[in-house]
Amino acid sequence: MSAESHRRLAQGWLLICLLLVAALCWLLPRSQINSSVLALLPKQQLAGVPDALSRGFSQRLDRQLMWLVSPPENAGTAALDDWLARLHQIPALNDIEGSMSPQRQQEWGAFFFSHRNALIDDATRQRLTSGATAQSQWILGQVYSAFAGVSGKELANDPLLLVRASQMAQQQNSAGMTLDNGWLVARDAQGRRWYLLHGELKASSYDISSGRQVVAALDTTKQAFEQRWPGAKVLERGTVFYSDYASHQAEHDISTIGLASVIGVFALILLMFRSVLPMLLSLLSITVGALSGTVFTLWVFGEIHIMTLVLSASIVGISADYTLYFLTERRVHGADTTPLESLKKLFPALSMAMLTTVAAYLMLLIAPFPGLQQLAIFAAAGLSAACITVMCWYPYLSRNLPVGLTPGLVLILRWLHAWRSRNVLRLGLPALCALIALGGLAKLHINDDIADLQALPVGLQQQEQQIAALTGQTNDQKWLVVYGDNAEQTLQRLEALRPSLINAKAQGWIDGYRAIDLPSLKKQQQDLDLLRNRAPQIVEQLQQAGIAVKAPDLSSQAVLPAAWLNSVVSQGWRLLWLSLPDGRSATLIPVSGVHNSAAMAELAASSAGVGWVDRKTEFSQLFSEYRAYLSYLLGVAVAAIAIIYLWRYRLPHGLVCLVPTVLSLLMGVAALGYSGHNLNLFSLLALVLVLGIGINYTLFFTNPRGTPTTSMFAIFMAVVTTLLTFGMLVFSSTQAISSFGIVLSCGILTAFLLSPLTLPVKKRGKKK
Amino acid sequence: MKIVLLFCLSLFSLASHAVTLEELQQRFSQQPVLRAQFAQQRSISGMSQPLNSSGNLLIAQKNGLWWQQEKPFSLTLLLTENRMVQTMAGQPAQVVTADNNPQMFQFNSLLTALFHADQRALEQNFTLDFTDKGQGTWQLILTPKTTPLNRLFRTLRLQGSAFLDNIDINDMQGDVTHLRFFNQQTQPATLTVAEQAHFVG
Repeated sequence: MSAESHRRLAQGWLLICLLLVAALCWLLPRSQINSSVLALLPKQQLAGVPDALSRGFSQRLDRQLMWLVSPPENAGTAALDDWLARLHQIPALNDIEGSMSPQRQQEWGAFFFSHRNALIDDATRQRLTSGATAQSQWILGQVYSAFAGVSGKELANDPLLLVRASQMAQQQNSAGMTLDNGWLVARDAQGRRWYLLHGELKASSYDISSGRQVVAALDTTKQAFEQRWPGAKVLERGTVFYSDYASHQAEHDISTIGLASVIGVFALILLMFRSVLPMLLSLLSITVGALSGTVFTLWVFGEIHIMTLVLSASIVGISADYTLYFLTERRVHGADTTPLESLKKLFPALSMAMLTTVAAYLMLLIAPFPGLQQLAIFAAAGLSAACITVMCWYPYLSRNLPVGLTPGLVLILRWLHAWRSRNVLRLGLPALCALIALGGLAKLHINDDIADLQALPVGLQQQEQQIAALTGQTNDQKWLVVYGDNAEQTLQRLEALRPSLINAKAQGWIDGYRAIDLPSLKKQQQDLDLLRNRAPQIVEQLQQAGIAVKAPDLSSQAVLPAAWLNSVVSQGWRLLWLSLPDGRSATLIPVSGVHNSAAMAELAASSAGVGWVDRKTEFSQLFSEYRAYLSYLLGVAVAAIAIIYLWRYRLPHGLVCLVPTVLSLLMGVAALGYSGHNLNLFSLLALVLVLGIGINYTLFFTNPRGTPTTSMFAIFMAVVTTLLTFGMLVFSSTQAISSFGIVLSCGILTAFLLSPLTLPVKKRGKKK
Repeated sequence: MKIVLLFCLSLFSLASHAVTLEELQQRFSQQPVLRAQFAQQRSISGMSQPLNSSGNLLIAQKNGLWWQQEKPFSLTLLLTENRMVQTMAGQPAQVVTADNNPQMFQFNSLLTALFHADQRALEQNFTLDFTDKGQGTWQLILTPKTTPLNRLFRTLRLQGSAFLDNIDINDMQGDVTHLRFFNQQTQPATLTVAEQAHFVG
């Protein structure tokens, strides 16, 4: 390549970089940073549930907030009213519900009264079905009871006591909670009373900044409240608390780990080159890399996940490698070759290194995890840009680099010499590594449980357990979705499902479920027919027993979902119903205590318009599938490398070259065993990178044009920078990331230590 | 129905010669078994005739309460520590447990409290007005102060001497129920085999 055409390339690259800056300026205001941990997980594949419906539900669920407040003894409901008032002062909250006012309670009764012929409870339906006598006997029992309080007025207005029956059924549905002056109350084992409150976020809890504001506001409110009422306690539940925690973690990771990495890398460069120029040049290539990575990620995904940002800090180390490799070459040979000649000499190694690393990152695209896919795109675009920057610009920019010997030449020579001459090292180190690896593998456990990856803070976890114990409502995120083309179809399907639900509970597949209690129009009509059929006989039997009642009003009092949703009776239930503008509707049935997820999935599959959602089990399965898939892929990759080596170097050297690769993978996995982490999908992903990055070291040494000492130094720098960045991930508070860091750093360290093994023993042994 | 039991227990827990509520309760807590018959008259506004019913009841400290209405139709109510069963001829038994309907079962704790002479528990739900009427007779008026009790009842008036003899219930809707207990027996102090059978199953 002529100097002229290279100059044109350099100018072209500058133009592209400027375009990237412009693109970033355009994209940034249109994009968002995503902090939801769930967004890192694969898009939910709900069996058949229309996407708009499942999205609608998950967005809604993510906005929910729930509190259990225990006032200090003797404070009564005054403390609760105070807490409620404080919540009302937080502008980000909506629809805060606490106690039901007497007026609302009256509305509640009035709604049931004006729709009594439509809202028949199961027990009444059973009695009516079995005959008029059953219902008239039941009415007599109520009327005669001294403590049931059936009044003459009630009998006159509702001779069949339908309102009374449906309210008694409602009580049965209270899931362990009782009513106290309009408040829902649960009691713990110590007899402490916990009052339930509910609220909604105005914005989606995925939104980092507003989520943070809300959590901060809630924290101050809670503190002020607990100060005002000593002894009062507040438990909270809501997705916003989890996502806020995750974003704090990520922020911590970015600021400390990212900063430590960058400082470490720059300090190393300064130390080794004793010049500011390499540092500035590294910074330049990193910046161009980050720019390109961000632009491409935003362009492809429209957002960038906060975890991508954390992990991409690690890419700093790799993108600095290219700069360092080129600058090392210039430092050593700057006096006797032109920059373009150096470029020509390094081009095969640089491009190979870039291609293998990029290929390794692109392999991450296979996993259906949006976070990893973003990382893959970010890394591929970022690393290519960093490498191109080195190739296009650095021959010019490195002109003023001071020339000198390879830093640490003596040590490098000794190290390489030892590899060639000492069998203790040549055979002993790989054998030792193999032993250590075996020891670690023996201790290794495989765990695909998603909970293992996301260690929740103890405080939140404890609250969660307490809330689940008090309310019987777990936060399992397991539910059935019943859906239909319109509300009526959905309700009919729900009715068809009910016997299966009762059976599932009886079989012990689940401990419980919550389903809305709104009958379909079809059912309402059937009930009305039944009522009209039985009523004359019931009235007659009551009159015979001495209770004179009028004939009941049996007009149709049909309830449509819209009316139900707008009424007070759906309070606490409306969340479970969703209607789209086009009429498609769905209802959610949260299920607690799932003991047989497979049976539930089968149940859903065999019912029309029903989907079973068990995010955790699904994800764990998915994790396990992809872990197996990636293991297989890694095996294929290693086999392919083995074939290439054998073809190029023949036996036995071809096999010897394979040893560092295989041992680096094993050591990466073994490190998990020693550190007590579990092997999961993320470990496999790290291994992919170990393979992709580690192979570079072998490539550098086997490059016929390279000088072993220069290669050794470049590799050394590459390893140290990689360890400074990936190694730092070990300190991440997110377990998935820290185990990712452990595998990477141990694997790469092994690859580095063993890479001189691939030096040809005899042919080159005498040259240096 | 829990409420029913509660009151029955409280009724019987009040024994004669007592001057104070505490003494009454303490004395009653020493009676392991009580048997009685009851007659009830319930007057509902707008109904020409009062509704009369009668039957037996049995209270055992260790087992709970068994209330059997015999006339005009049979209805049995069984209340134990953790469940309540109502049986009517020709119908499946209605079972309420503490888990599936804590609202109804809240009253259970009041009952237990009575058994243990825990006046505080009663006071959580009612305002108490105890009067010594002289010659061993007494009266206790309970005025509900919590929902849903205060929606149902205006007052409950308990009267007795050696045992609880009468309860008058004034409903909020103006209806009145008068309950009379008689033939009270505390011997034998343990349940007979036949009596035990009521609490099984």
